[in-house]
Amino acid sequence: MKRKDNIFGISAVITIVIGLAVAFGPTADLSAREMPKVNCSQCHSCETPTAQNPCLTNCPRMSQVNVAGRHDLSEAPKVLILNKLVNQYGAVHFNHKLHAEMAGMNQGCTTCHHYSPEGHISPCSECHGKEGQSANLGQPGLKGAFHRQCISCHREWSHDTDCRICHMPLEGKSTSSGTTIDSTDIVGISHVRLVEPEKKVYYTSYKGKPVVTFFHKDHTELFNLRCVDCHTKENCSGCHDIEKPVRAAKSEAEVHAVCSGCHASNSCETCHDSREKPAFAHGSTGWPLNQYHVKLECRGCHPTGKRISRLRADCVACHGSWNPQNFQHAVTGLQLDKTHAEVDCGDCHRDKRYDVKPDCSTCHDDNRSPEKAPPGHYVKTRG
Amino acid sequence: MKRRDILKLAGAGGVLLLSGTAAAGDTQGMASNDDALGVLVDTTVCIGCRKCEWACNQANALSSRDSKAFEDKSVCRKQRRPVDDAFTVVNAFDGRRSDGEPSYMKIQCMHCFKPACVSACLVGALRKTPEGPVTYDSWKCMGCRYCMVACPFQIPAYEYSDPLTPRVRKCTFCAERLGEGKKPACVEICPNEALTFGKRRDLVMLAYSRIRQFPDRYVDHVYGENEAGGTSWMYLSPVDFTKTELPALNSRPIPEITETIQHGVFRWFVPPVLLYGILGLSMISMKTGDQDKKEDDNGA
Repeated sequence: MKRKDNIFGISAVITIVIGLAVAFGPTADLSAREMPKVNCSQCHSCETPTAQNPCLTNCPRMSQVNVAGRHDLSEAPKVLILNKLVNQYGAVHFNHKLHAEMAGMNQGCTTCHHYSPEGHISPCSECHGKEGQSANLGQPGLKGAFHRQCISCHREWSHDTDCRICHMPLEGKSTSSGTTIDSTDIVGISHVRLVEPEKKVYYTSYKGKPVVTFFHKDHTELFNLRCVDCHTKENCSGCHDIEKPVRAAKSEAEVHAVCSGCHASNSCETCHDSREKPAFAHGSTGWPLNQYHVKLECRGCHPTGKRISRLRADCVACHGSWNPQNFQHAVTGLQLDKTHAEVDCGDCHRDKRYDVKPDCSTCHDDNRSPEKAPPGHYVKTRG
Repeated sequence: MKRRDILKLAGAGGVLLLSGTAAAGDTQGMASNDDALGVLVDTTVCIGCRKCEWACNQANALSSRDSKAFEDKSVCRKQRRPVDDAFTVVNAFDGRRSDGEPSYMKIQCMHCFKPACVSACLVGALRKTPEGPVTYDSWKCMGCRYCMVACPFQIPAYEYSDPLTPRVRKCTFCAERLGEGKKPACVEICPNEALTFGKRRDLVMLAYSRIRQFPDRYVDHVYGENEAGGTSWMYLSPVDFTKTELPALNSRPIPEITETIQHGVFRWFVPPVLLYGILGLSMISMKTGDQDKKEDDNGA
């Protein structure tokens, strides 16, 4: 009996110890912290990275979390003064906002912030060390990171790599900031607002139907497309090249590649026509919009997906929640009298078919019609 | 090394006169040291700013030219060579960039693992250090300039302007700075970090990882990995290296042919032994011939 007690006691102690270990041990710590959703292999090339040998893969890591879409341009800093490495030249007053606006036509924030873990956008200095190349030879130091980022685009369009394009002159070697120019000089300079065209008409070599009318605004507004969704390979030099003012036309394959992302299953005639296509009219779908519907945003009725889906034509498909209490019948031009205002909609509009003539026979035996004996009085409708 | 010392002693004894090139640098014993240092030049990153030229000029006190003298980028279009007061030059080449801009290639001593200059040097003034740099000792140099002839990259230059104490001049790999734990001056200043300094072994891996990551940007070739038996400085290029000014070389070390012939011929003191042997034999045969003649004369 005593031995049995002992065994019971020991097992109880073990259970408590294990329980405590589970509750307060490292496992509990891990579950309590919110672990970022990153895959180890995004950064580490080996199975078991250590502090001594982190075996980091080379940057830029293309598979990194994309920050575009999670951050708005208005959150971005406007002007950054880069003076951590002032040595031979003065600081650089970097108009961050202006560049971020231009990056909108490229790959957004990720054009420069090629690595950003979940939650925030990393500044260059978070990874790139001030002291130059780190133990990971593949990762440039802060100096290299800055210069490569700036010069690679700047030389593309300005065909110049002069240091003074970006650097302020260093007034003697005594001042640490290295510049006498006020950063307010460049505050507020913005990229020219890009005017979005209503439509573009292209004349192609397609036989018989050479004209392609592209409704640019419809695509961005209706389908919620961002600039970069179509303008995938634009870069600064596409617009700014000082030696090539006229940009090269895209090849046939390039243009088709952009459109076929959505229009892959369409026939050529969807886009190509013998003449300029008229703008979209809702009546062409067999459902002309009335005075109320015409005021609505397309997405108000066709909310889901990139494609505009065909809706059911009956009213309750959208207005199923309407009842005699919350529907103002006067908007139809007929103000119901007190008696009829309390009647259920379906009593007059049989089977909830609002597009056919209402039926009075549910309550009235005298074969009356709503034209001859209206259930209220006609009013002038708004709008 | 030991053999060379022995030979030097032997040289003092006069044997050197006969085995003429025995004191020449011997590169055959040198193996590529895994921890040797090197530099990887990424010509797709270089922007031709010539800051490395200026830093080199400062570090080696080559000329009184100030930084402004190195700002003219148009000189890069000429195919310049390193000279006695410029150990490195940046030359433009057509790297087929989409923006029509030229690519740039920094030229300097490659610091070969088996340097032809060291092999050709009669007096051991040039030396390949295990750390990587090929160093030069002007005290030993006698000014024969064989190194200039031997170098496949045409790097060593000569101070023709100095009639009294001219020296052979070439990139030192900033050997002194490396000893102080610093990077070479050119690497340190490079704004775009087109030059990567580190252990050569790591640089080869880095070079191939870049090629794998950006196959459209580079040709699949790390120049200097094997060229002329391997060099401490290596290059990545966007176009085939035959379209750059780097010479097409196979993996055979340049000194290999000459050293094989010379070291073979002069092994075991063969020439003196052979010379004295033939002399001795001919003397003996002449002597016996004389004796025979005398005997014949006597007999007659």
